[in-house]
Amino acid sequence: MNITFRRPAAVRRATLLATLVVALLPAAAPPAAVWAAPDLPGILKRIDTVTNFATDFAGVYTAYVESPGESPVTMQARMFRRDTEGKFVILVTAPSAQKGQGYLEVDDNLWFYDPTSRLFTHSSLKENWQSSDAMNSDFYRTNYARDYSVDSWTEGTLGSYPVYILELKGTNAEVTYPWKRIWVRKENGLILKSEDYSLSKWLMRSAYYPTYAQIGNQFVATKMLFVDELNKGHKTQLTLTEPSTQPVASSTFTKAYIESVSR
Amino acid sequence: MQTLRIAFRNLNRQKKRSFLLGGAIAFGLLIVTLVNGAAGGFQRNIADNFSHLFGGQVFIQGLERTASGKRVSVIHDDAALIASIKDAKVPVERLTRSSAFLGTLMLGDRKVTQQVVGLEWSGDNLLRDRLTLLEGSFASMNNPKGIIISRKIADKLGAHLGDTLIVQLRTVTDKANVGDFQVAAISHDPGLSDSLSAYGSLPYVNTLVNIGPAEYQALGILLGGRGAGAAAGRGTDADAARIYKALSTRVAVMDRAAKTSATDPMAAMLKNHEQNPGAAMFSSLIKQAGDTPWQGVKYRLYTIDDLLSQAQLPQMVGAINGIAFIVLLVLLVIIVVGITNTFRMIIAERTREIGTIRALGMKRRVVRNLFLAEAFFLFLGGALAGLGGAGLIMGVLRLMNFGTGMFALMLQQGRMSFVLPAGQTIVQLFLVAGLTLLAALFPARAAARLSPARALASIS
Repeated sequence: MNITFRRPAAVRRATLLATLVVALLPAAAPPAAVWAAPDLPGILKRIDTVTNFATDFAGVYTAYVESPGESPVTMQARMFRRDTEGKFVILVTAPSAQKGQGYLEVDDNLWFYDPTSRLFTHSSLKENWQSSDAMNSDFYRTNYARDYSVDSWTEGTLGSYPVYILELKGTNAEVTYPWKRIWVRKENGLILKSEDYSLSKWLMRSAYYPTYAQIGNQFVATKMLFVDELNKGHKTQLTLTEPSTQPVASSTFTKAYIESVSR
Repeated sequence: MQTLRIAFRNLNRQKKRSFLLGGAIAFGLLIVTLVNGAAGGFQRNIADNFSHLFGGQVFIQGLERTASGKRVSVIHDDAALIASIKDAKVPVERLTRSSAFLGTLMLGDRKVTQQVVGLEWSGDNLLRDRLTLLEGSFASMNNPKGIIISRKIADKLGAHLGDTLIVQLRTVTDKANVGDFQVAAISHDPGLSDSLSAYGSLPYVNTLVNIGPAEYQALGILLGGRGAGAAAGRGTDADAARIYKALSTRVAVMDRAAKTSATDPMAAMLKNHEQNPGAAMFSSLIKQAGDTPWQGVKYRLYTIDDLLSQAQLPQMVGAINGIAFIVLLVLLVIIVVGITNTFRMIIAERTREIGTIRALGMKRRVVRNLFLAEAFFLFLGGALAGLGGAGLIMGVLRLMNFGTGMFALMLQQGRMSFVLPAGQTIVQLFLVAGLTLLAALFPARAAARLSPARALASIS
């Protein structure tokens, strides 16, 4: 025997109304920016907090540089960072042609050392590192909270990760790129992707940060891919190995140290 | 008169010998005239070309110190500058406003580092007179994103008319920027440096370097009332001094006397022109401004002479003239020896003839003058032939187009021009005349001293 339940008319009307409300609610809701704006400066500050080290940091970077029509070039460099004082040292260890070249960021000045001429010349964080698609600033601590303001934002997903997509405007002339669009993972405040734009909002470079390593409470990208959007086919992959937060001697962050190890 | 006629007849008696002697004098004068004329032409053309390429003989640049301490090359409002130029009461033919940057031009996989100068193309433009276009036209510069690039740059990029070039640069506050240009024309290379040879429109270059549409970075003043080729000529320094004096009463100016080789724009540019001329010039501007903070815009004035003297152009021309003069002296010594020897031979050949005319009553002085007149006629013929030949060669060379290359900056639209100072030429003519007469004087005096009896008794 088949038994058919028939809901009363009042129940049917209530059900229909509830269905309509549920169906129409998202459409009637205000955009996320209006009703659920996240703490945007807080997101920028969190990026800095989770990626800058309170201790010294050291590691070995391997760069794999690809250019159209040329054989790929592999470079290696040892890096020492002291984020609390805004210092870093990079010593190029391979290939042999560049071995001994060094970078020293100290007192807001970046110096480049050439062992051939034995001279230090002034460089800039905004310049390309060793003619690759990575910039010198990619090795430096971040300061998103100071250097950028959020011009617009939205939410989305990148792969399977929920992210904030922030359009950033440089607040000073010291930034490498005047405009950026970054994909920040909601869960931990790590940047997964970045698009770097010129002042005229021309896409200059895309950067991808697929893997991070956690050291204590801090994160450091262990793989970075930089794609030159102006010179098609040019890209550089940076891989970090041997990350360490062991104390680094203060004498490391000096010109004398670079000269001595470059001999 | 009789002496001159006899002298002329004597020269005609030995046409081949006279031709060779006169030819030697002519050759010496021809070489020196050509070299001097070419050196003078090079100097004038370089000055003219620089004046037209840079937009004047006197230049004013502005440097502003921003609130953050950054120094920016910009002229916001030129009312005070224009008023100062009027106050100075100097003849002004044209004012050229320009902005510039050093960027990377890209087309496909290819790229070149290039200085791009933004100019106003709506009215007259000095470049129209000097820049030889191989393809395209100046009318295409009505396109606000139009760019004129040199043949060499076009070849390096593989660019053709209408192609879109991406340009990567830094703004005046050192921000990364990217823009695009359309190739409007391809020009001859002006030489010296490829980095001087790309031109865009001022408003778009201003946009790219991130200054206002009515702002610019350098004001070029083309001084008038001095005729063609006077770009580096008289009065530039005096006029510049008057403008500087008037300028200093209205705006903050950098001390002209404070200029050193480290702060001189051309010295800086020449030192680094292969790497980054724009940055080198800006660096020199900052050095000249000094470290003492200032408010608003501070101005620097410099002249084309400052640029050219740093390029050691006058020294170069002086050296060429000096070498030409030494060549002339060497040639003259050879000619003098030749003339002396030839006249000794002539006198030996004509000993009996001298004895005859002396016996007939001709005075010693007249005999001497006869030979000197022959020498003078040789000089006269040689000088006329030399100057005429030089003029002819100059005329032919002027018709030839030497095109591009590193010497193009020394040429006037690819062609040689010659500047021969009259004073210098007259001095050289007097020198050659004097030495020719001197060369003939000793044999002439020897001839005059001959005893008629002994001369007649000599065996020819």
